[in-house]
Amino acid sequence: MEPITIVIAVVVVGIIGLLCAVMLTIASKFMAVEVDERIPMVRECLPGANCGACGFAGCDGYAAALVEDPDLAVNLCVPGGATAADSIGKVLGRAAGDVAKQVAEVRCSGTCEATSVKMDYKGLESCAAAKLLFGGTGKCVYGCIGLGDCAQVCPVGAIHINGGLARVDASVCIGCGLCAKTCPNHVIAIRPADAHMVVDCNSHQKGAGTRRSCSAGCIGCRLCEKNCHTGAITVTDNLASIDYAKCDGCGKCIEVCKAGCLVALNITKAEVVNN
Amino acid sequence: MKELIAIVMAAVLVNNYVLAQFLGICPFLGVSKKLDQAAGMSVAVIFVMLLATAVTYPIQYFVLNPNGLGYLQTIVFILVIAALVQLVEIILKKYIPALHASLGVYLPLITTNCAVLGVCISNVDNYLTATGGFGGGFVQAMFNSLGSGLGFLLAMVLFSGVRSRVDKCKCPECFKGMPITLISAAIVSVSFMGFAGIVENLLG
Amino acid sequence: MKNNKLNILTNGIIKENPILVLILGTCPFLAVTTQASNAIGMGAAVTFVLLCSNVMISLLRKVISDKVRIPCYIVVIASFVTLVQMIVKAYFKSLDDALGLYLPLIVVNCIILGRAEMFANKNGALDSALDAIGMGVGYTLAMLAMASIREIFGAGTWFGIALPVLSENNISIMTMAPGGFAIFGILIAIINKASNGKAIKKKDFSCEGCPSAAACNGQNCAEKREAAAK
Repeated sequence: MEPITIVIAVVVVGIIGLLCAVMLTIASKFMAVEVDERIPMVRECLPGANCGACGFAGCDGYAAALVEDPDLAVNLCVPGGATAADSIGKVLGRAAGDVAKQVAEVRCSGTCEATSVKMDYKGLESCAAAKLLFGGTGKCVYGCIGLGDCAQVCPVGAIHINGGLARVDASVCIGCGLCAKTCPNHVIAIRPADAHMVVDCNSHQKGAGTRRSCSAGCIGCRLCEKNCHTGAITVTDNLASIDYAKCDGCGKCIEVCKAGCLVALNITKAEVVNN
Repeated sequence: MKELIAIVMAAVLVNNYVLAQFLGICPFLGVSKKLDQAAGMSVAVIFVMLLATAVTYPIQYFVLNPNGLGYLQTIVFILVIAALVQLVEIILKKYIPALHASLGVYLPLITTNCAVLGVCISNVDNYLTATGGFGGGFVQAMFNSLGSGLGFLLAMVLFSGVRSRVDKCKCPECFKGMPITLISAAIVSVSFMGFAGIVENLLG
Repeated sequence: MKNNKLNILTNGIIKENPILVLILGTCPFLAVTTQASNAIGMGAAVTFVLLCSNVMISLLRKVISDKVRIPCYIVVIASFVTLVQMIVKAYFKSLDDALGLYLPLIVVNCIILGRAEMFANKNGALDSALDAIGMGVGYTLAMLAMASIREIFGAGTWFGIALPVLSENNISIMTMAPGGFAIFGILIAIINKASNGKAIKKKDFSCEGCPSAAACNGQNCAEKREAAAK
């Protein structure tokens, strides 16, 4: 074999390699994207759950928006909470506001004792699919279907299905809101973690209809509304709803509710009158 | 024209790159869990396959073969593909950031992937000496790449649907995870075997 | 010291078998194991490339800069693959026909780049060589097992020797694509069962073994995202 073949081979590969290298070097110099180095620093402060609670497309989106917009609130990250807000504030030199811890609440009391199913469902194990079939498997079409779409989407595994009813473990929940977006019946709502009580019913049916579907449903009798001294709880469209800002946790509404759909969370003991 | 359609159909259905030729198994089994990831990955693969063929085919025809350097094929191809994908990523990041955000993540993953290198080498093996000289062979090679990429897309999208159902089912403990995924892939592969003979019979 | 060397050698055969435990290099595993003789040939080729590239990369590890290490490794591996291609084309023509496209595709085999990344660039030449031999032997044995099952039941032969009952009643789908996937799945299930789920830590085809992991930064890993969220 002549040495010239070796030389040609080496030269050809060498030239191709050199061309690639030159091309890449030029490209990386001239087409370099200017990345504000604060963006990765802010991104480090965020938990990386990419849940979208802040309203941006993932943690990268929020980090980029924070650096670009000097007026954007730094406390929009619910999973990150106060720690994230503080560290972002330090990086960007802005004041961190208060982050109210929020959790998800499944507003339904339809346990197996309270209600029952209206069909023997054998379809796809998904709430969204079941909802397409006559409004869901349960007698009440407003309630929790219990097939676990919310549990699947929860990034921290805070939701468990017990007896056909989804329940959120408030100690694990980061308040990202993905479950609320996923629930086809909009049963899940995000409430403040320190709320005194919740209305665990989502049914807008008239009283008699609700009674037929579920023994624990809100019948719209307005007893709670009449007995509330701050006007925090109101009944609209046959369903009670609570204004968390006005509620002072006296527990009167829970006492007078006959259906049992109002659930006490942080009732201040001194004001609950023993029956 | 008919041969070109036959090439694409054969690559998509009969000789499907993933399900019949076992190329690109790792991304197939790894990225097919979610439909949007699967679609994004497949589009990136089609793009890279077309680009890679467009560059490596002329290199083989004009640089390597005339100088008797056919044996340098492996080294040169892999170098060129790697550099090309890197370049495409840089360009995308600068000029089409939206596309980079959706596809860009998958580009490094496909560089050292057997699907892309496989399609380049098989193009060179099959079409270099085709009738029509450089132009004819080049067009056939590009259509083959397009077909292979589309076949990859079809397999990925179908399999992600299958996987989302399989994930919801109960199966024996030792089969959970990869074994059941592989067995589902086996069944999907069987279904594709039904396409044997379709190209000859449809297009004569 | 000697125990350590023996450990490195046997690591690749059982504890960290590249195919059945680390689940790397699945493409040729599925494609080439239709006949036991092909499996041995492929295994030998991979072992050779693995050994040479591990040693070479280990010797050059202080010289190669970190930024360009992946392209450098690929070039080194590609050179050895070309070497193997030429030897096979010259002396083992039937093997060349049988392996077809998969011979040059050894260059993108995750095992080789993966071991280079994970072992050769951190350890000396002798250790890297032992690791390469161990991995290669493990790979060959796994491929032989898979190919034997597929050939015996799929074609009724073993290394080309026809077997009494099976060659008339063969399940030919085993040598085809679906058979490959299914037998692989069953093999992993058997290992899971035998080790009570402890052997195979990789629960999904995620980034850990993939050599591109350095480049994509695990952005595709659902696992990393979940771990970060917790």
